[in-house]
Amino acid sequence: MREVDRVTTSPTVDDGMPADHDVRRRFEELVLPHLGHLYRLAVRLKGSAQDAEDLVQETCVKALRAFPTLRQPGAVRAWLCRILTRLVFDRHRAEPRELAVGDLEALDRFSLYDLVRDEDPFPYSENLHQDFLAQFDDEEVRKALLALPEAYRVPLVLLYVEDLSYKELADMLECPIGTIMSRLHRGRKILERELWECARRRGIVRNWEP
Amino acid sequence: MTPLTCEQAITRFFGYLDRALRGEELQDLEAHLAQCLACCDKLAFSKQIDDFIKRRLPDQPPPEGLVARVRRALDRAGGEA
Repeated sequence: MREVDRVTTSPTVDDGMPADHDVRRRFEELVLPHLGHLYRLAVRLKGSAQDAEDLVQETCVKALRAFPTLRQPGAVRAWLCRILTRLVFDRHRAEPRELAVGDLEALDRFSLYDLVRDEDPFPYSENLHQDFLAQFDDEEVRKALLALPEAYRVPLVLLYVEDLSYKELADMLECPIGTIMSRLHRGRKILERELWECARRRGIVRNWEP
Repeated sequence: MTPLTCEQAITRFFGYLDRALRGEELQDLEAHLAQCLACCDKLAFSKQIDDFIKRRLPDQPPPEGLVARVRRALDRAGGEA
């Protein structure tokens, strides 16, 4: 297994590693019980086991550097999750440039509901939209999620997994609530579009552009 | 209370699903939904997609040896400090 061997500089703590063995032992006592939770979150954010493990290692190294700043040991899990998500989100904080404004307007208007209703791929179905969703397997959903740029995927996965409010998401990712709302909206729309594209590729719906 | 068009109502769907609407924003949407079956269907589909994705988020137990590898990463980082 490859291990993280280079550590990015912490934006908040740059005063070196606590050398004291007691500090390290205390750190391990507090942090190691949460590795499972961190790993599961990392898999959901990164999609692959190897990337997830690299991210968990990087998170722990950064957490050890920042350990003296942890004021509430009882809130260590939230503190670790925050470090982990920020490691992913801060590298992709900006809205991806490849999405031009025109594309964003089209994306905001995209409606999978309308497309499925108009295309009507299962004329005898009594639950058309539900039956449409049932066509996709786990791997296709995973690919659709990974097609989301991190700027959209991170807030959306956190909303789904951690059930955070907009305010909590804004605090965690250090961006305005308005940004969180638009990222969640567009993230969901990109997911809808990916499912539609997948349905086109598989011939579930006709091969025409919406 | 301000009557909403369908287009205005749709822009509030995700906020509604995320329990982020309050006061008049919420009341106006609920009043619209009470008399618009088409928007009720669209909102229900948005919720179905959310639930569908949530149930299929990748989930894996931590691999064997993760704790040991994290400890080694901490040792190495300590050596670099």
